[in-house]
Amino acid sequence: MTVSETQFEHEPEQEIILEVENVSVEFDMERGTSRVLDTVSLDVRRGETIGVVGESGSGKSMFASAMLDAVVDPGILSGDLTYYPNEGEPVDVLNLSDEELRRLRWEEISLVFQGAMSSFNPVIKVEDHFVETLEDHGYDVDEGLERAHQLLADLYLDPNRVLDSYPHELSGGMKQRALIALGLLLEPNVLVMDEPTAALDLLMQRSIISLLEDIKEKYDLTLVFITHDLPLVGELCDRLAVMYSFQFVESGPTAEIIDHAKHPYTRALLNATPNMQMPLETMRPIEGASPDPVNVPPGCSYHPRCELADDLCEAQDPARELIGDDHDVACHHWEESADAIPFDRGESR
Amino acid sequence: MSHDSGGTTAETTEVAQDESLFETRSVEKMTRGEYYRELFDTWIAAPLRILRSDYRGIFGFALIGIFILMGTIGVWIVPSPEATGPILQPAFKSMEHPLGTDSVGKDMVSLIVHSTPAMLKMVSAGAIFATSLATIIGVSAGYLGGTVDRAMMTIVDVAMTIPGLPLIIVLAAVIDPTSPYLIGILVTINAWAGSSRTIRSQVLTLRNQSYVEASRAMGLSTFTIMSKDVLPNMMPYIMMGFVGTARRVIFASAGLYFIGVLPFSTLNWGVMMNLARSNGALYSPIAAHWLWAPMMAIVLMSLGLILLAQSFDRVFNPRLRAKHQKSSDADDSEVLS
Amino acid sequence: MSRSNGEPVISIEDLEVHFEKKDGFLGKSQTVYAVDGLDLDIYENDVLVLVGESGCGKTTLGKTAIGLQEPTGGSVKYRGQDIWDAKEGNGDVDIPYDEIRRSLQIIHQDPGSALNPNRTVMANLSEPLKKWEPDLDLNDRRERIISLLERVGMTPPQDYASRYAHQLSGGEKQRVVLVRALLMNPDLILADEAVSALDVSLRIEMMDLMLELQDLIDTSYLFISHDLSNARYISEKADGRVGIMYLGELVEVGSPERVLFDTKHPYSKVLRWATPDLKSDPDVSSVPPVRRIDIPDAVNPPSGCRFHTRCPEAREVCAQEPPRLLETDDGDRRVACFRAEPDHEYWDSDPIEDESLEVGGAGDDDQATADD
Repeated sequence: MTVSETQFEHEPEQEIILEVENVSVEFDMERGTSRVLDTVSLDVRRGETIGVVGESGSGKSMFASAMLDAVVDPGILSGDLTYYPNEGEPVDVLNLSDEELRRLRWEEISLVFQGAMSSFNPVIKVEDHFVETLEDHGYDVDEGLERAHQLLADLYLDPNRVLDSYPHELSGGMKQRALIALGLLLEPNVLVMDEPTAALDLLMQRSIISLLEDIKEKYDLTLVFITHDLPLVGELCDRLAVMYSFQFVESGPTAEIIDHAKHPYTRALLNATPNMQMPLETMRPIEGASPDPVNVPPGCSYHPRCELADDLCEAQDPARELIGDDHDVACHHWEESADAIPFDRGESR
Repeated sequence: MSHDSGGTTAETTEVAQDESLFETRSVEKMTRGEYYRELFDTWIAAPLRILRSDYRGIFGFALIGIFILMGTIGVWIVPSPEATGPILQPAFKSMEHPLGTDSVGKDMVSLIVHSTPAMLKMVSAGAIFATSLATIIGVSAGYLGGTVDRAMMTIVDVAMTIPGLPLIIVLAAVIDPTSPYLIGILVTINAWAGSSRTIRSQVLTLRNQSYVEASRAMGLSTFTIMSKDVLPNMMPYIMMGFVGTARRVIFASAGLYFIGVLPFSTLNWGVMMNLARSNGALYSPIAAHWLWAPMMAIVLMSLGLILLAQSFDRVFNPRLRAKHQKSSDADDSEVLS
Repeated sequence: MSRSNGEPVISIEDLEVHFEKKDGFLGKSQTVYAVDGLDLDIYENDVLVLVGESGCGKTTLGKTAIGLQEPTGGSVKYRGQDIWDAKEGNGDVDIPYDEIRRSLQIIHQDPGSALNPNRTVMANLSEPLKKWEPDLDLNDRRERIISLLERVGMTPPQDYASRYAHQLSGGEKQRVVLVRALLMNPDLILADEAVSALDVSLRIEMMDLMLELQDLIDTSYLFISHDLSNARYISEKADGRVGIMYLGELVEVGSPERVLFDTKHPYSKVLRWATPDLKSDPDVSSVPPVRRIDIPDAVNPPSGCRFHTRCPEAREVCAQEPPRLLETDDGDRRVACFRAEPDHEYWDSDPIEDESLEVGGAGDDDQATADD
C-alpha cells in the first residue's frame, strides 16, 4: 500500500544537515498494528527553518521523537536517519551506541517539548534543571551557567530571577522561554520544537516567534518547527512540509505552499483555517475525520475526504513527485486541485 | 429514527420538526427484558469477564471464594472440633486429621474451618464500617467544603489523635463484646480517620474537573454529583482502602486476642498461633503444624483480598469495561490522539 | 441570527469579582481584581465573543454571567431577576432559581475532561433529562438523546450513545458536550474556548454547528476566545458582537467590523498585530506595539487606564484617570480610551517617558490563574 518515497529527490543548494529516509514507527496493539509514521522522508537543510504542519493524529509529534530516536517503548522505529555534523563523517543515528546517542541528543540535536507547563520538575528550581543537564553530559557547570545566563537574557528573561525560581512561580510564557534556553544550553546545531507556543497568549506567541528568528541568527541554528497552526509558521519558516495520516503529502517553499499548494488536503486546510483576511464564505471545514492508525484507508489515505478522488486514488497510494522548484506533492491529481479547490483570498483587511 | 409530529402541512413541517426535537417520544420501546439484560451485562457480567481475564482476579476470587465456602458450608460439613483425637499429631499423617491435632486432641482442620465464620464476620463488619464512614466523611468534606469540611475534619483530627490501641482496649473492657461484628467494628474504631483524609484530598482534585462543573451548571443535586460523578472515580482508591482495613482487622484481632483484651476463644486463628507458640512451636517441630496451619489461613485470606482488590482496580477502569461490555462495539476505536 | 433589542437575557451591572489570594502561610492575603466594574447585556439569540489574554478575567466574567461564580460586587440579572437573590431566596423572587439554573449552560474548553469517563454517552446525557424532564420515561429519554445526536451529525447515533468518553475523538466529545448543553433548552450557553482544543480543520465545522443550532433552539452564546481569528469567524457569521477585555475591564466592544478591522483601542491593535495572517504583510513591523510584553499582575492593577503601563500612546493623564466605555461617532461600538474623545485633556497631556519595549522579566508576573 505504501510506496517508497525515494523517487523524488530535490536538488537543494544548501547542504543537508539531517536526513530522514523512509522512517516508520509501528506499535503492536491488540487490535492490529498501528503505524503512526508511515515511510516518511524529509531533508532538513543547514541553516533553514522548516515547518512541519499537521493536525492531531497526523503523526507530527511522533516525527519529532523519531528525529532524536526517542520513540517511546514499545514503538518500533525503522528506516534511516543520518546526521551531518559541521565537521566529520555523517552519523547513522539509529545505529549509535547508547553513549553516542546521548551525546548526539542535546549536544547536536535538541528537542523542545510541547506543553512547557509540565516539562519542568516542580520540586526543583529552574537552575537545577540546567545544572543537571550540564552534569549529565559532563560539561563544566560554571561555564554552562554563564551560557544559560546569556541565553535567558537573549530571550528577554531576567536570568537571576528565573534561575532562582521554582517552575510554578513562572508564567506560561516564561516557562516556555526557559525551556527553549534549556534546549540551547549545550550548543546544538538543530533545534526541533514541538508546538512550543501552543498554550500561550497571542502576544507571547508572536513575540517568541520573533525571538526565535533572532536566536536562530545569533546561534547559527537550524530550526524544525512542528505545529498545527499554519498561519503561525507562515512568517517564520522558509519551507513547509505538510503531514496527513502519518505521511508527508506536500513540501516546498512557504510562499509557494501558501499561494500555490497543490495537494487537495493542503488546499482544504488553508481554506478551513479561520483567519482575519479571507472572506467568511470561502472558509470551509474539511469533511470527515483523520484515519485511525490501525485502519488507514487503502490507496491514498486522504481519498475518503477528497473531492478529486477516483478509483485510481483508492487503489494506489501516490508517490511524492517533484513538480516545481523545490516543491513536491503526493497526489495523482495535483494538476486539477487548484481549480477544484479555489482560494479566494479577498483583499487584505 | 422517529418524529411523531411529522408535520401536516408544508408550512408547519419545518417548525414542527424543529420543535419536535424536544417533543420526541419514543415509538420503539425497549422491553423490560432487554433493559434488565443490559443492566446485568453492565454491572455483573462485564466485571466478571474482566476479573476472569486477569490472573489476579481468578486467584483472588478463588481464594476468597474458598474462605466464604469454608465459613458457610464448611461449618456444616466439617464437624466441630472436639478433644477426641490424638494429641499433637503432626500434619499429613492420616486422613482423619489431615493437618494434625493440637495439644488437647482437637482436629486442626475443624479448628480452622470453625474459626472462619467469626473471622469473616469480623473482617466484613470492620472493613465495611471503616470504609463507608471514611468515604462518606471524605467525599462530603471534600466536595462540600466550607464549614462542613472544617467540622468534619476537626472530628477526623480528634479521632486520629486518640491513640488507637489504648482506645480499643478501654472500649473492649467497657463493652465486653462477644459478637464478632461488634469486635470487627471496635477494632477499626479510628482506622477510618486517616483514610477519610486521603479520600478527601482526592475529591478536592476531582471537584475541579470540567464535568463536575458542568453537572453543577446543569443543576444536578449535590447528592447526584457526589454519587455519580465523584464516587465512581474514587472506587479504586476506596477498594484498596477496603482491603487494607480488612487485613488490618485480621491482624489486629489476632493480636488483641493474644493480649487478652478480647474474650478468649479457641476458635480464632490468632489464638491458635499464640497457643502454638506458648507450647513451643517455635523451637520444636512437634507443635510446628499448630503454628503454620492457622498462619497459612491468615496469609491466604490476606493474599486473596489483595489480589481481588488489584483486579477490581481493572473493573473500575472504563476502558476495560468498555472492551468487555457486549453493548459497545467489541473491536472498537480506542482513539489514540 | 441578529440580536433583538428586547429585554436582555442576562444583564450585568457594575460587576466586581475579586478573589483573595493568600501569600504563603503567614503572608497577608492579597486581592485579585479579576473583574472590576463591568456592564454588559446579552440579548436573545445573541452572540457575544469575549477576547483577551490570560488574566484578563474573561473566563471569570463568563462563569459569573451564567451563575457559576458569585460576584463580590454589582449584580447579575436573568431577565430582570437577580440570580443570587433567587438562589438564596432574598426578597420577591420572580423567577425561581431552578428555572434560571436550567437556562444557563456551559461548554468547556477541554473535551477530554468534560464528560464523566466512567459512564457511557447515553448515561451522561440522561442525567440532565432525568432532572429536568421527569415525566419522560426511559425510552423517551433515549429517543430524544438519539435524535439530538443525529442532529449534530453523529451517525449512527445508537453506536455513539453506547460509547464511553475515551472512545470518542476530540471533535466528537465536543459535540456530545454541545448536545448535553442543548438538552435543557437553555437561553444562554457559555462556550469557554470551545473550539481551541479542536483541530484547526474542525473548528469551522463546530462553530457552524453551534450557529445552526442557535436558530433551532433560540439560544444565545457567550463565546470566550483568546484567538482573534475564531472570534472573527463566529461573530461575523452570526452578526454578533466582539468584546475585548484587559485586566478585568472591557476596553472595546461592538460589531466585528469595527472592533477587529477598524480598531480604536491600542490594546485591540496589539492583539490584531499578534494574530498571524496567512500572508505576511511586509508593512507590519516585527516589534510589538507595546512598551512591555508581559501583562501586569491582577493583584496590583495599574492606576487610571490599566493599559497605560504598556500603551505606546500613553500620556500622563492616562495614569491618573480611568477612561469610560463610550459610544464612538461611527456607531456600533464602544471604546474606553481618551483618544476617542477629541476634546479630552489627553491631547494636551505629555507622553509618558520610559524605555521602549522593556520586555518581560523583573516585576511582571502574568501567572495564568485558574479563574481567568
